[in-house]
Amino acid sequence: MAPEQGPPGVRIRGLTVVYRTAAGELPAVSGVDLDLAPGTITGVVGESGSGKSTLALSLLNAVQPPGRIAAGSVEIDGLGDVVALGGEGLRRARGRHVGYVFQAAQNSLNPLKTVGKQVLDLGRSHGVENPRGLLADARDLLGRMGLDGARVLDSYQHELSGGMRQRVGIMLALVLNARLVVLDEPTTALDMITQATILRIVREVHAERGLTTLVITHDLGVVAEVADRLAVMYGGRVAEQGPTREVLAGPRHPYTRGLLGAVPRLVGDIGEAHALPGRPPTLADIPADGCVFRGRCPLRMDVCETGRPPVVVSGSRSAACHALRDDDGHDDGDGPVVAAATGEEQA
Amino acid sequence: MINGTGITKTFRQRGGVLGAREVPALRGVDFAVPKGGAVSFIGESGCGKTTLGRIVAGLETCDSGEIVIDDVAMSSLSHRRRQPYFRRVQLIHQDPYSALNPTRTIHQALAAPLALRARQTGRPRSWADGRARELLGLVGLDPGYVLPRYPHQLSGGMRQRVVIARALTVDPEVLVADEAVSMIDVSLRLGILALLKDLRERLGVSVLFITHDVATARYIGTDGELYVIYRGQVVERGPVETVISAPVHPYTQALLSAIPVLHGLESPGDQRVVPVEASVGASGEYSDGCLFAPRCPFRTERCERERPALSRNGDMPQEHACFHPERRSVVAVPVSRR
Repeated sequence: MAPEQGPPGVRIRGLTVVYRTAAGELPAVSGVDLDLAPGTITGVVGESGSGKSTLALSLLNAVQPPGRIAAGSVEIDGLGDVVALGGEGLRRARGRHVGYVFQAAQNSLNPLKTVGKQVLDLGRSHGVENPRGLLADARDLLGRMGLDGARVLDSYQHELSGGMRQRVGIMLALVLNARLVVLDEPTTALDMITQATILRIVREVHAERGLTTLVITHDLGVVAEVADRLAVMYGGRVAEQGPTREVLAGPRHPYTRGLLGAVPRLVGDIGEAHALPGRPPTLADIPADGCVFRGRCPLRMDVCETGRPPVVVSGSRSAACHALRDDDGHDDGDGPVVAAATGEEQA
Repeated sequence: MINGTGITKTFRQRGGVLGAREVPALRGVDFAVPKGGAVSFIGESGCGKTTLGRIVAGLETCDSGEIVIDDVAMSSLSHRRRQPYFRRVQLIHQDPYSALNPTRTIHQALAAPLALRARQTGRPRSWADGRARELLGLVGLDPGYVLPRYPHQLSGGMRQRVVIARALTVDPEVLVADEAVSMIDVSLRLGILALLKDLRERLGVSVLFITHDVATARYIGTDGELYVIYRGQVVERGPVETVISAPVHPYTQALLSAIPVLHGLESPGDQRVVPVEASVGASGEYSDGCLFAPRCPFRTERCERERPALSRNGDMPQEHACFHPERRSVVAVPVSRR
């Protein structure tokens, strides 16, 4: 039942996704490079219009018209470049190789069929030869997530709570033994306690089944709880990425800093928290040249108007910002501290 | 300014072949919203906090209990005579996308209530235009930019500010904000919260803030009061900072424990409480016992037999409805920075 190989890695290179609008083709995702290391949980965090959901759909080559992948590649181990896949090969890959838990999975079930029926439909469309075995797998997975599996399989959507439906969504993504799982806003519209439960389940199932997991969210708290690595998106680009704890402890990109400073917290001085000025860009007003964040940036310089920010790499972290290029030393006291701390751990 | 005593509300669900089912939404809630004060109702979906907000705003009636506005009991008035009182209370709800008519410019959206207001107060019609600009300025928007635009041309944060400006057209004394920032982008949430705080300070407007996100409640004023509601009952009530830093009810503790920890910036509180998962359906309830007992890791036999009432004991600054109150540090603490 369990596949033999290890969890797949994913390499996204130069990914650009455009949407056709009255004003021409506009990029929702622009030149994104991102690696999902095998066996890790990566969190992509961004506000509305950051391109995070479009990025997630690209992993399935499932961007719908008027959108299209205009450039770049998405290499998934065992599958190859999904951007080049089409037709039957692509259909098989979805579900078998890549499991997808859709945004508002709570509402994406068929209201007219029991959960068990939907599992069987899924099996039939993927040519599963042993439907009983599939149902048993589904029941075990639900049981693993703290539900009465047999009862849930006999239930209709309206008989399940939001948290239960979310678990059904995760089960459907995993029941065909996909090893790469994408969760788009897995806890939006769930209560706090249910959210905490779902996040715990995501972590545990990820570890037990040996998955590579991508979590897409607008909520920094969610990535902080589950993700090993974090990528912050803004205006269709990756502003900053790195190990979650290091990025949270010492954010380098001015947007990451601003976002962290804007999260309402339970403790600390409320006077220190500020909203960012301006607003996130929409598809229509993402600047074509220069830095997409410059309109809201406290460190804005002349070069930000024209030059695309360079990706400044240091160790396992990177940030795309003009202001980071020359003043690594004085601007960012956290950088060296983090590096030193890592060194101590290794010693 | 607005008080409520013993508010109860039961919804009757039409339950198919089995007939009607009664769902208690509020079970005898007392509250007080002082002038210029900040009161927050927190709890999970279905706990009754939204129903309570709608009752306060006059959009829903209660089955029993009394709402008193400026010392006048609403039950003593006819429906028609209540209206001027409830107009002092304006509801701002969560979705700024559906709260504004998409076919009307912001100017049109503000002009109608302001024209009415001008007539009521004997002002000339020309007053309305100036007042619209004044209100938009008050909520931090540029009137010249916003007035000619349609809602879809504004961001969510701007729309929510317009909704607040529209609520202010009738000079309310209380704003009831129901999940008013949950659909707003994270980078802009604090702006809306700061605006609500500012309106309290500058206009003396009271804010009744309804949310499932406890942290946001601090940002409309640390001088405020927090009501934690579980299944229609207030289980803990006290000053915002006290309830967050030293909660005594296990449900409050569970709610606060569930808030994600920003690892790297914070470390988790060392006494986090994980509640038993809510069971499928309504089974596992004790008919006379504590409502939270079936999920409470600290329940005793007494909790299954008797329902605790909201009360204060000893030195605790907050009220609670628990037989075994105990302070626990459940909230994440900032990592000290070198």
